[in-house]
Amino acid sequence: MQLFIQLIVDGLAQGSIYAALALAIVLVNQATGLVNFAQGGMAVLSAYIGLAVVDLLAPAFGPGLVALAIVIAIVVALAFSFVFGAAVERLVMRRFERGDEDTAVVATIGVLTLITGLVGIIWSYNYQHFPWFFPIAQSFSIAGIGVSVWSLTTFLAVIVIMIVLQLLFMRTKLGLGLRAVADNPASAALSGLKVGRLLMVGWGLAATLGAVGGILIAPKLQLTPNMLDSVLVYALAAVVIGGLDSPLGAVIAAWGIAIVENLSAAYLPTIVGQDLKVAVPFAFLVIILIFRPQGLFGRKAVVRV
Amino acid sequence: MSGLRAPNTAVIAAATRPTPWWRTTWFRWTLAAVVFLVLVVIPFIADPYSNQTMTRIMMWAVAILGLNVVMGYAGQVSLGQIFFVGVGAYATAITLKSHWGVDLGLLGAVIAFVLAAVIPGVLGFLVALAAARLRGIAIAMVTIALPIVGVPLAKRFSDLTGGAPGISPSSKWFRTPDWLSGLLYDDQYRYLLALVIAGIVFLLVAFLVRGKFGRAFAIVKANESVASAMGISPYRTKVLAFTIASAIGGIGGFLYVVVNTFTSPDTLSFPNSINLIIATIVGGAGTIIGPILGGVYFQLVTQIPTALQASQWTTVIQGIVILLVLFLLPGGLASLPRVIRRLTAKRPDRHVGTGTAPAPIPGNPGTTKE
Repeated sequence: MQLFIQLIVDGLAQGSIYAALALAIVLVNQATGLVNFAQGGMAVLSAYIGLAVVDLLAPAFGPGLVALAIVIAIVVALAFSFVFGAAVERLVMRRFERGDEDTAVVATIGVLTLITGLVGIIWSYNYQHFPWFFPIAQSFSIAGIGVSVWSLTTFLAVIVIMIVLQLLFMRTKLGLGLRAVADNPASAALSGLKVGRLLMVGWGLAATLGAVGGILIAPKLQLTPNMLDSVLVYALAAVVIGGLDSPLGAVIAAWGIAIVENLSAAYLPTIVGQDLKVAVPFAFLVIILIFRPQGLFGRKAVVRV
Repeated sequence: MSGLRAPNTAVIAAATRPTPWWRTTWFRWTLAAVVFLVLVVIPFIADPYSNQTMTRIMMWAVAILGLNVVMGYAGQVSLGQIFFVGVGAYATAITLKSHWGVDLGLLGAVIAFVLAAVIPGVLGFLVALAAARLRGIAIAMVTIALPIVGVPLAKRFSDLTGGAPGISPSSKWFRTPDWLSGLLYDDQYRYLLALVIAGIVFLLVAFLVRGKFGRAFAIVKANESVASAMGISPYRTKVLAFTIASAIGGIGGFLYVVVNTFTSPDTLSFPNSINLIIATIVGGAGTIIGPILGGVYFQLVTQIPTALQASQWTTVIQGIVILLVLFLLPGGLASLPRVIRRLTAKRPDRHVGTGTAPAPIPGNPGTTKE
């Protein structure tokens, strides 16, 4: 029972990382109808920017103020990812948004390849340690059940971000504009909204969201240019299972995937185990696609000819 | 509309002009035959290293051709083609190494080839049954999982696959067989084997895409609703395209073992999968010549930086090349002659397809109208 609850908590934390990336994918898809396969790569780049800032500041600040250096690094990395996301939309993706969606997919793969290559050249393909506020292995116990501090903070951080995002979309003028552009760009433009700028904001927000996931998982995984490739697969699986048009569905699916993955790795060590747990969400995905192609929470798309 | 689809204004314009000599059927067949003959002669002139490079190019060309069937012709982006190449490679290597416990003799190679095509084909069929349920990019979102799942899978079943170091069959399979010894060196034998297999696969696909199924692919790619209205099931068509693509990818995997004499989990890694897609677009999606150019590109983009001791730049170069191609040459290298002709053509000629339609051909008035 103890192990079971620990696995659930760890699953929720991991699932929160997948959820951050999945939400970013849903956000971009809502705004532009595209699926951004570079979402993970952009998040990795932001994490490396954060690492560079820590490496720069930590020696200057001295050992007592490492936490402050990390805070500054996170702020810089998130600001960078917003600008970078907006720039990718404006400079690369704008051209493909109204065209063939297959071409747009290949374009995002091109962006992913370019980012991975650049990160590899600048920071090498070796593992790099990302410093964190507390040791990753640190845990505390409630009623005899050990809970990892990292898991709890990650889970809570993603919940807070989701609430902020919801408030942004539902309670602010910017959010209203973003929803209008996503719903119907043509009439949004006719109502005087600056569609291009809002699309850039949408991509920037998505990139920031992805970067949060990247930075949260970086101290646990160690940084490599391909760090988020498999996380991207989980996030995509969550998006497909939850439905491309349902942020809540994507988050719930992300948690579900991570929990099932952790449980199956622990309780079926001979069949699944640590090395094959990546296959679990994929198996789920196949089954769900066969029986419910629009996803568990998605609406069935009706296409007019 | 720009991008993976060929602009059909040019097709309409071409249909209204008399066919130029370089587009006639007999010229194309003659050209193909001449090219094939040249390719047969090359290994007897070139050095072993060049022969090996050429064999690799043919191997990648076959793998890319498979991806081109599903992506270029049927319009479904598959991020998992390398998985089927890897499965084909493992089917080949395992059969040649273990004979499945039976002494098969030379027949083993034939069985390896058949399994290399059939097993990936069946797997591709099963994956497509699920993936093709959704519209558009869903296939990309599902197939991206294949290489990511494939690598740990290959490492896990190490009794069969040899684990992380991989599996290499006995070297006798890669030498010139007895009945040809004295005639061919090993590298020439492997080159010609790859040439024959690749030639047959390319010929079959060329026929496929010009026939009934090719037209079904094109309609599903252009508009699934129209396809349904015409009685063509988009689902079945996509599953068919995906199955064919997977089987051809498996044949590419067979050639992978022929040229590399081994396979390992690295074969089916995610970056390789991306490289296949990039090579498909760079070569020219939706054409027969495209995968050949894509194969040349795939091989050279890794070989040249490695030779210059700058292999860490390969990924960056790949990213820059694919974005440049998408922006500047969406039809890929295969469209280069057409683009050059359009740019060098005289001014009035450039507008033939769009504005000033030529006089209707008597008895066939429909062609000039939209």
